[in-house]
Amino acid sequence: MINRRYVIGTAAAIGLLASTLAADRAAAQDKTLTLLTWNLPIYEEKFQGWIADFQEMHPDFTVEWLDKKGTEYATFYQTQLVAGTAPDIIDVQGMLWAEYAADDGLVDLTPYLEEHPDIKARYNPEGLEFWQYDGKQYMLPYYFSKTLMVYNKKLFEEAGIEGPPTNFDEILDDAGKIAATGEGRSGFITLNFDWLYWALFAMNDIDLLNEGMTEAAFNTPEMVDAVTKLAEATQSGAINNISWTGRWVEPNNAFAAGDIGMYQGHGAALFWIMGQADWANADTLGVVEWPGGWGVPNAHGLGISASTEYPDEAFDFIAIALNDKWQTTMADTFTILTLNETVDAELIADTEDPLKQETLELSLANMDKATGDWVTPLDARIKEAFYPELQAALLGQKDPAEAIEAAESNVNRVIRRGNR
Amino acid sequence: MRRYPTWPIHLALLLTACVMLVPFYWVFKTSITGENIFSYPPSLLPVDPQPFFYVDAWYAIPFPRFFLNSVIVAVMVIVANLFINAAAGYALTKNFAGKRWIILLFLACMMIPFHATIIPAYLITAKLGLLNSYLGLGLPAFSHIICIFIFKASFDAIPPSLIQAAKIDGVPERDIMLKIMLPLAKPAVATTIILSFIWSWNDFLWPLIIVRDVEMQTLPLGLSTFLAYFEDTTGALYAFCTMVLAPGLLVFLLAQKEFIQGLTSGARKG
Amino acid sequence: MATASTSSHQSRIGGGRTVAPSARRGLFARKRHRELALIWVLLIPALAIFLLYRVIPLLWNVVLSFQFWSPTKPSEWAGLYHYEEMWVYDDVFWEALTNTFKYMLTAPIAIILAIGLALMVNSRIRGRTVYRTIIFMSYPLMVVAVGIIWRWLYDENVGLINYLLRSLGIIDRPIAFLETFATALPSVIAAAIWQIIGFFMIILLTGLQNIPPNLYEAASIDGASRWSQFWRITLPLLRPSIFLCFIIGIIASFTSFDLIYVMTGGGPGHATELLITYIYKAAFTLTQFDYAGALTVVMFVLFVGLALIANALAGGEAGKVDIAD
Repeated sequence: MINRRYVIGTAAAIGLLASTLAADRAAAQDKTLTLLTWNLPIYEEKFQGWIADFQEMHPDFTVEWLDKKGTEYATFYQTQLVAGTAPDIIDVQGMLWAEYAADDGLVDLTPYLEEHPDIKARYNPEGLEFWQYDGKQYMLPYYFSKTLMVYNKKLFEEAGIEGPPTNFDEILDDAGKIAATGEGRSGFITLNFDWLYWALFAMNDIDLLNEGMTEAAFNTPEMVDAVTKLAEATQSGAINNISWTGRWVEPNNAFAAGDIGMYQGHGAALFWIMGQADWANADTLGVVEWPGGWGVPNAHGLGISASTEYPDEAFDFIAIALNDKWQTTMADTFTILTLNETVDAELIADTEDPLKQETLELSLANMDKATGDWVTPLDARIKEAFYPELQAALLGQKDPAEAIEAAESNVNRVIRRGNR
Repeated sequence: MRRYPTWPIHLALLLTACVMLVPFYWVFKTSITGENIFSYPPSLLPVDPQPFFYVDAWYAIPFPRFFLNSVIVAVMVIVANLFINAAAGYALTKNFAGKRWIILLFLACMMIPFHATIIPAYLITAKLGLLNSYLGLGLPAFSHIICIFIFKASFDAIPPSLIQAAKIDGVPERDIMLKIMLPLAKPAVATTIILSFIWSWNDFLWPLIIVRDVEMQTLPLGLSTFLAYFEDTTGALYAFCTMVLAPGLLVFLLAQKEFIQGLTSGARKG
Repeated sequence: MATASTSSHQSRIGGGRTVAPSARRGLFARKRHRELALIWVLLIPALAIFLLYRVIPLLWNVVLSFQFWSPTKPSEWAGLYHYEEMWVYDDVFWEALTNTFKYMLTAPIAIILAIGLALMVNSRIRGRTVYRTIIFMSYPLMVVAVGIIWRWLYDENVGLINYLLRSLGIIDRPIAFLETFATALPSVIAAAIWQIIGFFMIILLTGLQNIPPNLYEAASIDGASRWSQFWRITLPLLRPSIFLCFIIGIIASFTSFDLIYVMTGGGPGHATELLITYIYKAAFTLTQFDYAGALTVVMFVLFVGLALIANALAGGEAGKVDIAD
């Protein structure tokens, strides 16, 4: 009869399923570490190099390497975390790590650094601070850059501007002048993810949060004034509107086209543009710090998930991945800073392109003027509460004062709610 | 009866056909054009056509491997959908206590968005030990409610007298189903094949979460990896889009007749 | 799927015929018992999958929505906290809800256009199968790729749409379609219509072909104009097909995640935020799985409510499509 066959078929299927399950269990008995990197599939060969070096030290381990694109990274990691299969060693961008740390999701690396003073000594102490929460070190620096002002010398000349602007109003003035030089020109563009645009507000003495990070501190007349001016400049075309709608690719593409005067972005993005647009070089572009020395760091660190079974071995892995040999490779491959002082000094010395060299040097200058790097587990939620309002004001959709008011109440609500 | 001129209809349909085809053309044009794709004004015809973006796309990700994975998962999903949905659709043509509730349950299930169920779905798959496996990739898509109803409708449309006659002749239930009903439900079979193929082939979020090894990735994930390499700054992305879209289009073009019949087989007899 | 009520009659009659004479009641009972067992065995695989991947996850969301929950900490009872947050404080929820309703306009617009197309393709003109194929071709495409393609078409600087509008002199400054508050949602809706219209057309086309031709003949003998034939015969008889399109459209507006995710990510501001993208954001960007659970529950209730309303509105036979079999 059909039903008997059906039952047998179902039973067979279940049996098959169970055997796959058993096979999986058996495979899981090996010691395995998983490494999750952030949008670097291109670096695969070197990751395999890390793994090979690590296996020389721990031959009984296998290391699995995964890479996820930034937009999908958090989704992937959090799902794995819920299921208790979080990758052991993670490469995290921005402030996401603070959220994981506050949720007890990361291994505190402080004791390891005390045990290995040689590793601690590799780093620029101010650099290490980017990854400290509650007085504990949760990540070690992997790579680093900071927003600078890149300006198009030819357009500055055409607009009759002497040199790069030295304060906020001058930035907007110059932007207006450049936009006026021709159809399709604009004066200013910024990268826009995380808080990369924040130097614009920092130079106006505006703080996002108060000292103890218990309240929004940005609802001030200066803020309303700055946002009003930025919105007007955006409406007039002095500021390219991609500044407020794009993230990474869009502003970079726009600047690479060569019709924008000033660019707010970090070294990695600038070098990418130089690779895309053959006109972009030390003769056509200049790089300086933003007025006041403000800049927003954009950094990646390596950390260890608290769910790991082998924290000590995971730390050994990080120590290898971040040793001078591999960080030199990293620095040379991407012309990127690592916050490892020896490696960075060598990189700057060895970089031949004067524009790149200048960019690298300036990225490490004025570390105390780093902004937009608030260490709070609520970072993502504060951004979500803040930016859409600011964006509406900048694009002329909403009155600046009203938008800032709304953003303030949103941010305060997020903080009051805390981590729930 | 007065005859109306047909040219306005042709004109309207031609215009619509243009609107429907232009995106295809534009992405194809971008994928083979030799000029900088960011230059303005864009040229309407490809300038210096060249296949390099396809070569780029081919080497950027292991295309054959991802393609194979997509095919394996799609085949599993199609086979499962055929059996499970035909069985359920057949059962629903019978009368039994609780049938109403089952139908309501199915309809309600249609309204639970999969995206909102990712985490528990993931946990369940982990408990079944199916993470990072083809079975795990396919399992949630093993039955589509719409296909169940399509089967039910096309079984319903089979004249009861035919089945009655077979029963009187002493044909066993199993043979009635396999040898009489299933062949008559061919359009439903075709529709199920195509719909489950489309949905499995195009799924993005589930493979993203469930797959860990590069060797297990499907084509939509390839698209994401691809963006990680190039962002969307070269024609290679559009070459890759073309390569990803082509198989789905091909399957549709080959089977469109049965598909269109099956999609509406229920209404046919109504 | 679009079974009119006649099919349910068929199955009822079919069921009725299995009733055997009372003299053989014992045998009948056993047979009936066996048939029942068969029915359930056939249903179990489908039920198991829906239980695992739909029902349990929904229940999980329900439980979560009353808790404070994070992956690494023990959960706490939250009562109606998340629902209060949503109802009273969360403007984004209301914006996403409004947008979802606006996005649902995709369905009626696409249906009206698709009726026109179906009528045209149904007329006896040359090349109608070719037209039909072309119009349907967009449906089977991978949504992620469709999003990428449309983003490229809408591009402010080198997009085809801006280029055409500018060369035709309709606009003099390019429009950033996907980055402007006023145009972002309509632009996404246009892409959604592009993708689904062929599917609707096919459903409606078969509906048209099932209308008995003699109805039209009778009407023309009575001297009814084509226009009144359309309103009196075509449209009423198309109702089941239209209802089906409508339901598919609503489902799409609650689930079209990929398209928005690729094209706008919900922005600018929250101008294209739909409930489904907001749920995803709440869970994975903001790490509020509990709140996302509450959003999911609200969305599900809303969804079922709408389906019931649509069902009631469609009334009559159309309303009985499969549902009240």
